[in-house]
Amino acid sequence: VAKGEMRKVAVPANRYTPLKENWMKIFTPVVEHLQLQIRFNLKTRNVEIKTCQETKDLSALTKAADFVKAFILGFQVEDALALIRLDDLFLESFEVTDVKPLKGDHLSRAIGRIAGKGGKTKFTIENVTRTRIVLADAKIHILGSFQNIKMARTAICNLILGNPPSKVYGNIRAVASRAAERF
Amino acid sequence: LSVQDGLATDFRALTKILYDLNKALGSNIVRGGPLKELVIENFDEEQIWQQLELQNNAVLDFFKKSIARDAKDEDLCLLSDQEEDGSDAETSSDQELEDSIMEAEAEQKNIYTQDKTKAKEKQSKFRESIMQKYSDEDSDIDFDIEALEQQTKTTKETTLKKMGKKSIVDDKFFKLSEMETFLEHAEKENREEEEDINYFEDIISDDEEEESEEAKVKPVKSSRDLTYKDFFDPVDDNDDLVANGVEDDQEEEADSAIEEQNEESMSEVEDMNEMMMENMRSKEASKKVTFSLPDDSETEDVTDVQLEKGIDPSEIKSSFEKRQEKMSKKIKSLEEELLEEKPWQLKGEVTGQKRPENSLLEETVLFDHAVRMAPVITEETTFQLEDIIKQRILDEAWDDVVPKEKPKEEAFEYKKRITLDHEKSKLSLAEIYEQEYMKLHQQKTEEEENPEHKEIQEMMDSLFLKLDALCNFHFTPKPPVPEVKIVSNLPAISMEEVAPVAVSDAALLAPEEIKEKNKAGDVKTDAEKTPTDKKRDRRKKKLRKRMKQREKEKRQKLLEKMKPEQGTKLSKKAAAAKLKRLTKEGKASLLKDEGKDKVLKSSQAFFSQLQDQVKMQIKDANKLKKKQKQQKTLSVHKLKL
Repeated sequence: VAKGEMRKVAVPANRYTPLKENWMKIFTPVVEHLQLQIRFNLKTRNVEIKTCQETKDLSALTKAADFVKAFILGFQVEDALALIRLDDLFLESFEVTDVKPLKGDHLSRAIGRIAGKGGKTKFTIENVTRTRIVLADAKIHILGSFQNIKMARTAICNLILGNPPSKVYGNIRAVASRAAERF
Repeated sequence: LSVQDGLATDFRALTKILYDLNKALGSNIVRGGPLKELVIENFDEEQIWQQLELQNNAVLDFFKKSIARDAKDEDLCLLSDQEEDGSDAETSSDQELEDSIMEAEAEQKNIYTQDKTKAKEKQSKFRESIMQKYSDEDSDIDFDIEALEQQTKTTKETTLKKMGKKSIVDDKFFKLSEMETFLEHAEKENREEEEDINYFEDIISDDEEEESEEAKVKPVKSSRDLTYKDFFDPVDDNDDLVANGVEDDQEEEADSAIEEQNEESMSEVEDMNEMMMENMRSKEASKKVTFSLPDDSETEDVTDVQLEKGIDPSEIKSSFEKRQEKMSKKIKSLEEELLEEKPWQLKGEVTGQKRPENSLLEETVLFDHAVRMAPVITEETTFQLEDIIKQRILDEAWDDVVPKEKPKEEAFEYKKRITLDHEKSKLSLAEIYEQEYMKLHQQKTEEEENPEHKEIQEMMDSLFLKLDALCNFHFTPKPPVPEVKIVSNLPAISMEEVAPVAVSDAALLAPEEIKEKNKAGDVKTDAEKTPTDKKRDRRKKKLRKRMKQREKEKRQKLLEKMKPEQGTKLSKKAAAAKLKRLTKEGKASLLKDEGKDKVLKSSQAFFSQLQDQVKMQIKDANKLKKKQKQQKTLSVHKLKL
């Protein structure tokens, strides 16, 4: 590595405290496993990651940046850690209004449908499709492998469009079992 | 058509006369039937026929033999018809016969010269006339002739067939025997030319006579005057006559047979017979001599050729010329064919109207089969099949039906399908993927495990279990798994085997399982019950009632919520309560019907009651009025002051 490359990840205010709390867990794998340099710039409120001489892999930088980004979006550290460990995990974000133009109460109801009572529906989707979902008001972030992201996205879209959760469960279950059979 | 009795009797008489005459004149040579005279008195037609048949059959047999014999004899030569005719002109009846014979002959000859059909028609006419039983003498005679004809036809058939010597080389167009005879004759010709001329001259007259249909007396021909034609048929004739048929031969045979027959009946010189035979035979032989070339012309051509030959006796056409003629004729016919209208087979799409009826049945029509034809079962195919079967049996490769197995789903798989975890997963994503990865890789290692080890492990487990059971200090048996078994309360006999060893009447369920037992034990009557029992019962009863009441209330509440109108309607108590409430509030007033308690027995009672009611009403009304009045007066009084 000739020049030192750097990545910056902005941190919104609401994630400031969680970042502080989980800082140990964040920087340890980045530094130890990926051999990168990481710091949190207090002035700009950015997490900066930089390559150094010890860095062996250039792709490590993107991985680390993605990892931090995932955490900032709202994922757990352990979940985000999967990004570092596995190559083929991706992060997808979209908005509820992308699927269907909803306003006011309808929008709230849609979000409520996605979440379910006590987060039940969301957890169900997560478990069946082996993904992690972050539901931040009108924004949805999904973390997982490509196929699983697709499954989860389909399920969430169905929920937004108005399908009852039971129906969505049935669908994702069927799809997941078929996917599992193939392997 | 009806039997003309007079004519019939005449006819019969004549038949008898003829038969007797024949028998009387009968020569020693011809062996006839056993009957010396024809009996007709009180005899049926059938019987007379049969008598005649006897005679005729015998005669026929004799003729067959004689002809066969004579046919083989090659020294005989044929005489012309005229000679025979001349000899015939002896008796009057013979003359008549002769005439008719001539006619018949002429008819026969006509077959050569003109259409066969005409002659046949005439023949058939003759036959018809016979059938109708005309009393015409001529027809009478004709009848006999016809009968003889028919009889002799068959004989001559056989004789002619024997004539042709068959060799290996023979086929439709070529006969070896004919070729040989032709060659012999050709050699003869070269040696004796002068005689040929004579022959030809004589023949002309013969032909002319043949052409005419009249019966003439033909000039007598001695053996010296025999001509080429007597020996040989014209070239074109040959095949036609031979190939086309026995018919011609038959007629010829019949013709000659008739001649023979008549001569015999006239008691002639045998020589004449022989001559006739020779004549006949040479004619037949002559047929065989010429080359049989392909595409022979019809009888008409034959006559043309004959004519031509008759006209130009000096020209002897060489075989090449003959062939050339034939070719030209062939070409001509082909050209005609081409110019003519094509037959329907060559006309492309032909509907039913354009072709003759049922013509397709005679044609072999080719068409595509859309369906595969069923295999033709021949011996070979069956052998093949049998071979296959034998081989299969030896190999024991049966085509048994493989039983279908229902795919049993493992419980694990089933569970995996069913359970949906609604809680937050305790493992992080990374861990999940890690687990998956491990699973994938572990599967491989599991397979590598030694199956023997597994067996050993299982055996050890079972052994230890048993040992633990024996020394039960630290043994904790496995908790009994509650087994769910559905037992129906049928008599045990029905659930057991069909032929049980011990017949049992007992039902599968114990009596306690049918009806719950009392905790105390026996069922007690009220007198037997102790106070505690009574109290217990009371408590139970109260409990039950309480539960019932609660249920009812619940239901009622629910109903009221859902359908408020219905809820109140149903309960009587609720209605009474409501009524009370309303009356208290003053929104409703209760109407009491005191008067109607009494039973009205008489009309007087009824009317008195009615009167009372009305009175009461008036009273009330008056009261009201009074009240109103009072109010009014007060006001006025106040005003005055």
